[in-house]
Amino acid sequence: MRTKKRVADPFGNKLKELDKTIDMKISSELDDNETALTQLFANCSDLVVRKLHMLGSIPGMVVYLNVLVDAQLWDDGFLGPLMQPEAVSIDNPRQLYEILNFKLASIVQPRIATNMNEIVQSIVRGEVVLFAQSSSEAFTFGLKDKLHRQLEEPATEAVIRGPRYGFIEKVDINLALIRHRLRTPRLKTERLCVGRLSQTDVMIVYIENLAEQSVVEEVKKRISGIDMDSVLESGYIEELINDHPYSPFPLMQATQRPDLVSGSLIEGKIAVLINGSPMVLVLPITFWFGFQTAEDYYTNFIYVTMLRWLRYLFAFLAMSLPALFIAVTTFHQEMIPTSLALSLAAAREVVPFPAIVEGLIMEITFEALREAGIRLPRPVGQTISIVGALVIGQAAVQAGIISAPQIIVVSVTGIASFLIPNPGMSQAISIIRFPLMLLAASFGLYGVGIGLICVLIHLVTLKSFGVPYMTPIAPFNPTGLSDTLIRAPWRVMRRRKQQTQRRME
Amino acid sequence: MTRILRTFRFLVIFVILGLTTGCWDRNEMDDLALVMASGIDLTDDGQLEITLQIALPTGIPSAVQSGGKGKKSVIVISASGKNSSEVTGKLQQQLSRAIYFGHRGVIIFGEQFARHGINRVVDTFTRFPETRANSYVLTTYGGTAKEILNTSYQLELIPSIGINKIQSSKLSFPVKIDEFLNALSSEDRSPVTAAIRVIHKGTDKETFTIDRAAVYHKNQLSGYLSSNELKLLRWWTGETHHLRFTVQVEPENEQYGGIVGVELLNSSMKMHTVIKNELPEVRVSLHASVRAIDNDSKLDLSKVDDMKRVESLLSTQIQSEAESMLTHVQKELQSDILGIGEEVHIEHPYAWKKMKGKWLDIFPEVPVTVDARIKIERTGKTHSPAHKEKTD
Repeated sequence: MRTKKRVADPFGNKLKELDKTIDMKISSELDDNETALTQLFANCSDLVVRKLHMLGSIPGMVVYLNVLVDAQLWDDGFLGPLMQPEAVSIDNPRQLYEILNFKLASIVQPRIATNMNEIVQSIVRGEVVLFAQSSSEAFTFGLKDKLHRQLEEPATEAVIRGPRYGFIEKVDINLALIRHRLRTPRLKTERLCVGRLSQTDVMIVYIENLAEQSVVEEVKKRISGIDMDSVLESGYIEELINDHPYSPFPLMQATQRPDLVSGSLIEGKIAVLINGSPMVLVLPITFWFGFQTAEDYYTNFIYVTMLRWLRYLFAFLAMSLPALFIAVTTFHQEMIPTSLALSLAAAREVVPFPAIVEGLIMEITFEALREAGIRLPRPVGQTISIVGALVIGQAAVQAGIISAPQIIVVSVTGIASFLIPNPGMSQAISIIRFPLMLLAASFGLYGVGIGLICVLIHLVTLKSFGVPYMTPIAPFNPTGLSDTLIRAPWRVMRRRKQQTQRRME
Repeated sequence: MTRILRTFRFLVIFVILGLTTGCWDRNEMDDLALVMASGIDLTDDGQLEITLQIALPTGIPSAVQSGGKGKKSVIVISASGKNSSEVTGKLQQQLSRAIYFGHRGVIIFGEQFARHGINRVVDTFTRFPETRANSYVLTTYGGTAKEILNTSYQLELIPSIGINKIQSSKLSFPVKIDEFLNALSSEDRSPVTAAIRVIHKGTDKETFTIDRAAVYHKNQLSGYLSSNELKLLRWWTGETHHLRFTVQVEPENEQYGGIVGVELLNSSMKMHTVIKNELPEVRVSLHASVRAIDNDSKLDLSKVDDMKRVESLLSTQIQSEAESMLTHVQKELQSDILGIGEEVHIEHPYAWKKMKGKWLDIFPEVPVTVDARIKIERTGKTHSPAHKEKTD
């Protein structure tokens, strides 16, 4: 496996200089610490430095960023107990720690920090730092902020049947949603921190003994190898730890559904939670995973089997229908049934462009409409769909610019691309469509065949964290078929899936 | 980066190959003249005349173009010349679109031309990659192919699609070009096609019908089978879809026509050959179970005696019809359209070797005995005919 550094970073040196200034020990004088911190946080209006007498007698100082600290918790849970007079004499900082630990048990356990760097890290993470006079150690308290939205149903992965909660932007809550479903100490979570400026929390979640330990290690190694100023979304990580960065196909699933993640964990997969993003990465995945939804396992298996085949069929159509149409109508007219050929010819009678130009115009327009529909605010999105339908469907045909059969082909292709549950897979297939159309226009079905073979070759060379992408078809594994070609009933599928049990190569 | 470079280099080669070699044979649908049928005739001065029926897509009514009605849906053009490539060239000069044979479903030989020999065009069929192997071949019975292709047909927009549908529905005697060419090239079989003719000529009901078979001797048309003979030929070759026979079971009187009509349900044709004195003798048994479809006689088919009588009458009639067809085919037409040579070839390969080159000379003299046996399986009624109730 490659473990080279995955990122170029123009600001690296500047930041390193900055790091030097905070690489110093804590002074035992409160004033020295204050000066150091106020210098570092100069022009940070939200920094609060307050001197106070702890427990009624001990001089101390608290430092925090007030926007990140929950005011309620600060007042009742922290400041109140801290200021309460106590008839004790403190000889050394250890003792103080014991007392604080006892008194502030309702909040969180204090941690001891010894150097300024740690202190700064704690402050920017929204913790409260407490200095005591004549102590070279400081205490940090994580008074977690409540800055997060309500749990909602994810808009992109709606289901008819199944749980409605989706992940949100806070990693702890996301972990809680998983823990709610998997109540076992075997569910392991490992916390990493990436991004020099963003200091993003990344959590690797897996079930011990089910997940391949070497894969877990590899994921950890790759994530900690990320050297970047900021990691703002799971997309960064997905791209940076990918086995095949130049492939259009998704090698990880990004999902907002806790039930899907829990189910994947039980299959031995690994989840990567990223603070600040509701999209959780699931890996390793296979090609077929792109055609499955969480709901597949909650619905009647016969129906789901039909659905899956429908998705496979439409995925194929989404990829190659325009290409096949172009190839057949411009190179292999004898393949069309005679009466269909006649109506196709009749529809083309007034069209000025060759089929490939027609197809490209329509496909590009369609992609543009789709993109516009996503970007526009919802009320305006309605207008776009009406205008789009009118422009494409009616006017283009009536003006004789585009033939009606071509419209049908593009519409079917459009619907087909929405049928693929995984957006990454859908995007990959949309990308492949265009080269296939060009091949079809130059070489007919022969070109389409060559193109599809190239796609297939690419697919079988892909690996997602050591698992061949086309498993269980290639390499062939008959037991895996019960969840790819069909969705077998649970009593048959009870045996745990073995897709990730394969050793890494 | 190397990977991107490699991909890029590959793409560049690909694009250059695609654009510079000029290997494009792309044709838009509206640049093609879709030939639906072609007819081949011989003019009086011995020249080849080819007629093409070309579909006019603008004449096909569709939802988008409302002007479909009243427009012509086909154009028929013809030209004559020495050979088919010359004629095709002349035809192309009349057209703005490339002649495209990929959808030709019907090929018609004019009688004149067929009698003269079909060699002059057969080669183009086998050479031309666009030719469909499943086009139907027909021969005109009187008249020319040009006439047939100029005849309108009410049921279908394009007349040749009508011909094609009649043939593919198996209600007639369908012969595809590959079967025809196979028979033409083999020594143990003679080619046969359906024969088409125009009826109600000169009236506004003018249309065509396919009710005969054209029999070829080697590559020349030698004659036609009548409708009745065609029925037996269809039975013989296994094309028995909706095949009906009628038999006179009793003399006609004022109340009854005395006729029973039957339709074939299951039929079989078994041929058995023996070699005697180095010459084959053939026994053929035509067995069928039928259902009665009409009964205009006094007989009650639900009674065993009556049924047996009809069965035996039917058997004798069909036997004699078969024998007369055989005489016609063997003595007059002298072409082995019945596959007797093929059967001899299969059953007696060594004896066949001696007959091989001169089979068509031997064929007329081969004794063939026919044994027809008909069994009425379904009387085809839920109660006795209404007219019977009164008279009995």
